[in-house]
Amino acid sequence: MDYKKIDDKDIEFLVSVLDKERVFTGERIHNDFSHDELGKISKMPDVVVEVLTTNEVSKIMKYAYDHRIPVVARGSGTGLVGACVAIYGGIMINMSKMNKILELDEDNLALTVEPGVLLMEISKFVEEHDLFYPPDPGEKSATIAGNINTNAGGMRAVKYGVTRDYIRGLEIVLPDGKIIEVGGKVVKNSSGYSIKDLICGSEGTLGIVTKAILKLIPLPKKVISLLIPFTNLDMAINTVQKIVKSKVVPTAIEFMQREVILAAEEYLGKKFPDNSSDAYLLLTFDGNSTQEIENSYEKVADICLEEGALDVFITDTEERKEAVWSARGAFLEAVKASTTDMDECDVVVPRNKVAEFIKYTDELQKQFHVRIRSFGHAGDGNLHVYILKDDLTKTAWEEKLSKVFEAMYSKSRELKGLVSGEHGIGFAKKHYLLEQYGSDYLELMKNIKLSIDTKNILNPGKVCQ
Amino acid sequence: MDIFVCIKQVPGTSKVEVDPVTGVLKRDGIDSKMNPYDLFALETALRMKEQMGGIIKVISMGPPQAKDVIKEAYMMGADEGILVTDRKFAGADVLATSYTISQGVRKMGKFDLILCGKQTTDGDTAQVGPEMAEYLGIPHITNVISIIEIKEKSMIVEMDMPDTIEVAQIQFPCLLTVEKDIFQPRLPSYRKKIATKDREIKVLTLNDFEDKDEKKYGLNGSPTQVERIFPPAINNDRETWTGSGEQLSLKLTAKLKELKFI
Amino acid sequence: MGQLVCNQDKVNELNIEELIKVCPFGAIEYTDGKIEVNAGCKMCKLCVKKGPVGVMEFIETETKKVNKDLWKGISVYVDHVGGSIHPVTMELIGKARDLAAVVHFPVYCVFIGYHIKEKAEELLQYGVDEIFVYDYEELKDFRIEPYAAALEDFINKVKPSSLLIGATTLGRSLAPRVAARFRTGLTADCTILDMKENTDLVQIRPAFGGNIMAQIICSNTRPQLATVRYKVMNAPEKQFNSKGLITVCEIAKTKLKSNIEVLKVVKKKTEENISDAEVIIAVGRAFKSEKDMTMIEDLAELLHAQIAGTRPLVEAGLIHAKKQIGLSGRTVKPKLIITLGISGAVQFVAGMNNAEHIFAINQDERAPIFNVAHYGIVGDIYEIVPKLINDIKSSVIM
Repeated sequence: MDYKKIDDKDIEFLVSVLDKERVFTGERIHNDFSHDELGKISKMPDVVVEVLTTNEVSKIMKYAYDHRIPVVARGSGTGLVGACVAIYGGIMINMSKMNKILELDEDNLALTVEPGVLLMEISKFVEEHDLFYPPDPGEKSATIAGNINTNAGGMRAVKYGVTRDYIRGLEIVLPDGKIIEVGGKVVKNSSGYSIKDLICGSEGTLGIVTKAILKLIPLPKKVISLLIPFTNLDMAINTVQKIVKSKVVPTAIEFMQREVILAAEEYLGKKFPDNSSDAYLLLTFDGNSTQEIENSYEKVADICLEEGALDVFITDTEERKEAVWSARGAFLEAVKASTTDMDECDVVVPRNKVAEFIKYTDELQKQFHVRIRSFGHAGDGNLHVYILKDDLTKTAWEEKLSKVFEAMYSKSRELKGLVSGEHGIGFAKKHYLLEQYGSDYLELMKNIKLSIDTKNILNPGKVCQ
Repeated sequence: MDIFVCIKQVPGTSKVEVDPVTGVLKRDGIDSKMNPYDLFALETALRMKEQMGGIIKVISMGPPQAKDVIKEAYMMGADEGILVTDRKFAGADVLATSYTISQGVRKMGKFDLILCGKQTTDGDTAQVGPEMAEYLGIPHITNVISIIEIKEKSMIVEMDMPDTIEVAQIQFPCLLTVEKDIFQPRLPSYRKKIATKDREIKVLTLNDFEDKDEKKYGLNGSPTQVERIFPPAINNDRETWTGSGEQLSLKLTAKLKELKFI
Repeated sequence: MGQLVCNQDKVNELNIEELIKVCPFGAIEYTDGKIEVNAGCKMCKLCVKKGPVGVMEFIETETKKVNKDLWKGISVYVDHVGGSIHPVTMELIGKARDLAAVVHFPVYCVFIGYHIKEKAEELLQYGVDEIFVYDYEELKDFRIEPYAAALEDFINKVKPSSLLIGATTLGRSLAPRVAARFRTGLTADCTILDMKENTDLVQIRPAFGGNIMAQIICSNTRPQLATVRYKVMNAPEKQFNSKGLITVCEIAKTKLKSNIEVLKVVKKKTEENISDAEVIIAVGRAFKSEKDMTMIEDLAELLHAQIAGTRPLVEAGLIHAKKQIGLSGRTVKPKLIITLGISGAVQFVAGMNNAEHIFAINQDERAPIFNVAHYGIVGDIYEIVPKLINDIKSSVIM
């Protein structure tokens, strides 16, 4: 693609819109801006700018459009597929300073925020007002616009759905600098194509979110988790279907295996309340009173015992939740700390296929002599599978990795699953998306992209390109 | 082994504030739970029972609602539960509380060991254990960080001291208070919850005690009085220092010294 | 003393809910048409002060009053293991002198151990009027029964008005045992102490995990016991012309029996887990090499600190993954944290912003770490840290 190289005049323009303090070039660009959390894909942008207003974003986009300069918008950089890496260089817009909570509308249960507000700030703020923003991705320091752009899922998806379900309206700067608003504070909307839903999960390729209206719900007063040990993963996963069928809806159904628990114990230097069994389910229930929650969890607990669970442990106080959930929260880092390098896939399969998929990764582990660890959201079929490098050489590892990935994604297709549950496609998973969808589907996506971004300057080379 | 574990019902959250104007304690609902430190004592007892056999009795003093923590202890594996409750115990400070529970223990007959948590999250005085030991005339060791060996008539434990660890052998009957993290407490079990649904909780009142002298219980048996409660001063100061390396280093050293870190 | 009485005739449908709600401990119950106060009552008397007017009443009853004139002096328990005196002792002597001055009391120390007479001489230099020494082989190691017996003997002989004990693990074991023996009050972990003219000790301590402060007195019994944490009070300067006395006390050996046998006393291993550390030096990506880390180790040793860091340092292999502070690492709550060359990304700050004292050194005055630091020091770590090491060293020698 033929883009204009950034020159002094461009920098001059950027400085005129912002000021010197907020335009970074050369040495002044922090290395972090060249990669995301996983760090596999790396490229330095030519210039990083810090924006504070929608207008600034608009001016920069207009200029970039007129001069055909590639632009990437970036939040906290916590992605895992290279979506925020400026693979064609150009301008990187750091959105993280647009981080104000603008309005809490308690009449409409809506929260208006700037794109750089962090997920953890949102939950803290609304909970102080007895309200609840349910999407709960693991990475709490991600920005809300980052979440919107990957349509992040998280633990509570079983009951509450994903980020897209909580976006009422957006303000977007289009690739040519125009500003539009989609959706609003309305609950229903049947007014034409839902551009809002297209933007959710577009990974920064269609427009830059500069404001978001989030849907809130009343805060459930109580949360209780159940930790349920099983003699093996099969039994645990098979029970999940029974739970789903029982029509009692937990907010989360997670599964975990002993190896990962042991890794977390080692990493945190703290014992997990129980590590005697091979496999566990971790279920969470919320509600407005202990009694209400007990009524629903007892039904589920009985099902688990019928299905052969060894016991059902109740996690009801701050300390107990901390003991269980701090380990759950540390799984990724613990697995990472246990090896030299790793790569992950976050496929999503229909819920009744979770067991089959996990069993398959276990086979792959043996077949390729490589360590594979997984844990994840059994309740929504979204699996996080990590392939560990350990003491393999770089070449051997990369070779194995591509074979294992190929095998896993083809299994996922066979099970009618999809490439990504919540991490997105970005740059790293493009190939697998193509394999999944085929050329017709991809063509359609490309056409949508180019009809909005006619000069293909906004985060080019990602998702479908 | 016959083991008593002392447990207490405390507020479900430690986020307690005092209204600076009215001086009223603001409490978030009436949610309550077992004192988290007691979980370590109970877990210690359960592990000892697994090793040595025996029976675990939990004892709690409090209002009738404190039965909930005894049920919780049943869900973790305690065998028997005793609630010491009487309106004559109202307003008890540490001394009166210790005396009351020790009377309850006496009433229940012989024992080998009493285990207590290090302290509670609401009072955090860490006194009830040693004071009970005094009233029961048995030796005690506080801040036990590990159990080395359990014998027939004694046990060997490690006690956390200011800069050292004391390894000591203590004869039964005795009282130990255990440190946080001596063992990771197990979670309450749903199976046990069902199994102990109808298990009795023994209730003891002043009339059941050997010593029925009302002057030793509740407010009348409490030598300390709370004159007032108030919110703590919060350190919200923010200072920025600039200057030469020498100046900054000296200023920092002085501050660290003032704060007693040097 | 007294009791809470409910004037049942003043209870009506309008005020009953208000009454039940006013009790922060849920101790007021309405059963069978009657208001009852249950065992949850803490006698805070809020129901009297803030409840519906006239419903709850506190009726004073006659209590036996102690003769305060018989109890004189402020005494300090000398906290030590094997004769090495814990510095909290000197801090308590300092406070005892302040308190004693209000009511013109002498300051005493009680020193219980074995082969400790010489150590007692040193203590006199802090301005103690008299030190009572119990020196017996049975008192070599800390065992509760003989130590409590010696302290009991001291109280009976000297009759101190107040007894201050360090809130060390040892003090917190001994003080309640003795308080119960004398059926007197003990206030644990006091942070502020003051003296009333009538010799009542005003004791202020944090409760509910430090969320509230409580002011406590013990006006009807003596002695008054208080434990105080280390590093709360100020130790006095040593004086060279000490006029104090040393009195060696005798106690019957039969009182020194114990059912505890101390097998050994070992030095504590340094705590490795940063989550429990009291002092932390946290380093950021400004540090580039192993050599830099040596400098940090020197500083950490001087401050008895553990070294922790940010994620880039873990990735660079300079610190272990278990030493990472932040959302994806550990959460720490030390008394002191000094961050060096850390900009203060939210991931990091969320793991440490509950530290009691936060010092941050960073060159960039706009670094977000300065928003959370109590003391923000704008400067170059490579310039400041070596100087700091020297300054601390020389200040320790002084």
